[in-house]
Amino acid sequence: MKLNEAAVFRWVVIVGIAAAAVIAATLLIRPLVGALLGLALVIAGCVYGYRWIEQKWRELGSKKLRS
Amino acid sequence: MESATVSVGHGHAEHHGPPEANQSSRIDRQTLGILLFIVSEVMLFGAFFASYFFLRVVVDPASWPPEPYELPVAVAGMNTAILVSSSFTIHYALESIRRGNRTGLKLGLVATWLLGATFLFIQINEYVHIGFSARDLSFGSIFYSLTGLHGAHVFVGLMLLSFATIRAFRGHFGPAEKDHLGVEVPGIYWHFVDIMWLVVYVTVYIL
Repeated sequence: MKLNEAAVFRWVVIVGIAAAAVIAATLLIRPLVGALLGLALVIAGCVYGYRWIEQKWRELGSKKLRS
Repeated sequence: MESATVSVGHGHAEHHGPPEANQSSRIDRQTLGILLFIVSEVMLFGAFFASYFFLRVVVDPASWPPEPYELPVAVAGMNTAILVSSSFTIHYALESIRRGNRTGLKLGLVATWLLGATFLFIQINEYVHIGFSARDLSFGSIFYSLTGLHGAHVFVGLMLLSFATIRAFRGHFGPAEKDHLGVEVPGIYWHFVDIMWLVVYVTVYIL
């Protein structure tokens, strides 16, 4: 996968789903539950995002070596 | 300054001006530029969110938002849906030009621009009717700062989209990757603006 608009669009979808989950938890259970879920998702997102960027740089590096 | 002339091949095509800059980066400079810009923007928003959480958690008011203020959650929710849908239309515009569909590109860009303008209009309308100003407590200050900062980003995004749309109607873009960077870069920025709004909406209006 390339580092382009389509890749960033996937992040819009991921963040959108995460935001919908937090809104549902806040409105249906308690605001504290929503806040904790939001915090957990932010931490998970940061870890996933870090790995994603690492993978992108590896792919770009190997592509440069091939060319 | 006198322009340089570089002969290409057997001298049939000539390039005027300085030679192309050497690209030593692993990624094309336009995409790298917008990604670095977005990283700096994330830090800017981070500073505003830090202020927000400081005021909300550390200062610890009796209620948030403080009495008698209320936030229009439903209207902002509708506005969120409008802005998120604009990410789908800009994605459609780019997928169209990747397949060589210029009509789809124009349609997607115009739809995105209209959705973005509608979002901004509703937000300004919200400011007019919300019943408090930036001078009303720290709550008012941080509310207007966060939403205003985001609104400014939407405005900049609309400017970028305007240029891209005008260029699309002049037939500037093509299916090759390097031929539609003028839509790709505003597209990445627009997605960033959408993601930031989702975070702002959930933080300010919902939690």
